[in-house]
Amino acid sequence: MLRKLIKHEFIATGRIMLPMYLILLLSAVGANISARGLLDNKSAVLETLGVLLVTAFGFATTGVFILAFVLMIQRFYKNLLQDEGYLMLTLPVSVHQHIWAKLFVSAVWSIATVLMVTLASMVVAYDIGVLRELPDLLRMFFHGLRLLTPSEALNGTAVLIEMCVLCFLMLMDFCIQFYASLAVGHSFSSHKMAASVACFFAFMFAVMFLIPMLFMGLDKIGFFNFQWNPDPVVAVHLGMLFTIALALAYGAVFYGITTFFLKRRLNLE
Amino acid sequence: MSVLECKGLTKRYGRVSALEDVALTIEPGRIVGLLGPNGSGKTTLIKLANGLLTPDEGYISICGAAPGRETHGLVSYLPERTAIPTWMSAKQLLDFYGDFYADFRRDVAEEMLARLNIQPRQIIKHMSKGTREKVQLIMVMSRAAKLYLLDEPIGGVDPATRDYILSTIIGSYNPEAAVVISTHLIADVEQVLDGVIFINQGRVMLQSTVDQIREDKGMSVDALFREVFRC
Repeated sequence: MLRKLIKHEFIATGRIMLPMYLILLLSAVGANISARGLLDNKSAVLETLGVLLVTAFGFATTGVFILAFVLMIQRFYKNLLQDEGYLMLTLPVSVHQHIWAKLFVSAVWSIATVLMVTLASMVVAYDIGVLRELPDLLRMFFHGLRLLTPSEALNGTAVLIEMCVLCFLMLMDFCIQFYASLAVGHSFSSHKMAASVACFFAFMFAVMFLIPMLFMGLDKIGFFNFQWNPDPVVAVHLGMLFTIALALAYGAVFYGITTFFLKRRLNLE
Repeated sequence: MSVLECKGLTKRYGRVSALEDVALTIEPGRIVGLLGPNGSGKTTLIKLANGLLTPDEGYISICGAAPGRETHGLVSYLPERTAIPTWMSAKQLLDFYGDFYADFRRDVAEEMLARLNIQPRQIIKHMSKGTREKVQLIMVMSRAAKLYLLDEPIGGVDPATRDYILSTIIGSYNPEAAVVISTHLIADVEQVLDGVIFINQGRVMLQSTVDQIREDKGMSVDALFREVFRC
């Protein structure tokens, strides 16, 4: 059922995100044409057109990020907490599956948006010279890789994977914090959206208060007073794993709040 | 086994009691009217049966199980508002129901949509309010569910649509299932009901069959309702 939820979530969101990506790529082509000739043109009309095309790309880039963010919140709010909630929350699926489907799809669109903006930026910067330099760049890259020792290659890959996991978890944490705020806010009998915003700031305040307290507490019990002097590479791994564990715990708290409120305190209008 | 059973069921919103010590059973193969004035607790009871609310006291069960993921597959629920995603086309909605409900009879739904001249590509948002409600009802009644919970299915629609809705309910429900129709428009539904539950201020006032009411009281359900709920 989770697979089906994800499928329908992609259909619901793809109809908005995919055309936006197309607009972004088209605006990138326009900005590329502009950068290649229109901006330096003597004709005032063509120069203005060039400025407009570059501006359009700027707007499209900002717009696609805003859209991915708004869609993440709007899908949870509209699909589960508004009228559609009567249908969605009576499907033979669990609340956990609903939350995971929303989280997964939001995370995928966020990553896709970053990749699309990177691609669009490459389209803007694309020049025939880049193609000529590409083989040299690749040769230098692989030459650099050959110079690495097996230990460096292994640790480098591990850190890269740890970074990817951490980024993905932080993305999920970012989403689930919004979901928790909406779930709590919508358990109120009136002014649900205002209550959701208030909950979001209350959560932020609690996090900013509790995390330094946690670190101070850990320091007090000697958690950071290592008796051994770890190798710098090991220290990096330990630091990354600790941060991943912290990100997991952070997400788990908000996941628990969201689940509890959707299961026990649901208050659809 | 009863399709729907509740005992000592109580639900409060803050200090206000929406349902108080409700006890009732609904057997399979019956069409039951859940009748009461506005704010009597009908929707709260239906929401509790769907797991959209959690009871404060007592219990409610669907085919012996507490409302949840498993019972959602047994209950076909028509909410009092349009809950189907309006950006979908009729075909996408059929796909959606087919994906999630094993008991969804797609051929039945397609036939009913065709009878209303609704094209598969037609977007729900572009339909009139009445047509949207009919489409939602078609989806609900096209399931071979064990229990149909219909919350105000004929509220706010014209008499012709009312007739269409009632004939759709009668013509397409699973005969082994129970149907609960929540409404305050008694005269319109009386003809299709086997049993009634009168509910007022969160309490069940009466649970009886239509025949028994006519025999014992010598009056129609509508007349009895007017007498019981006289202001």
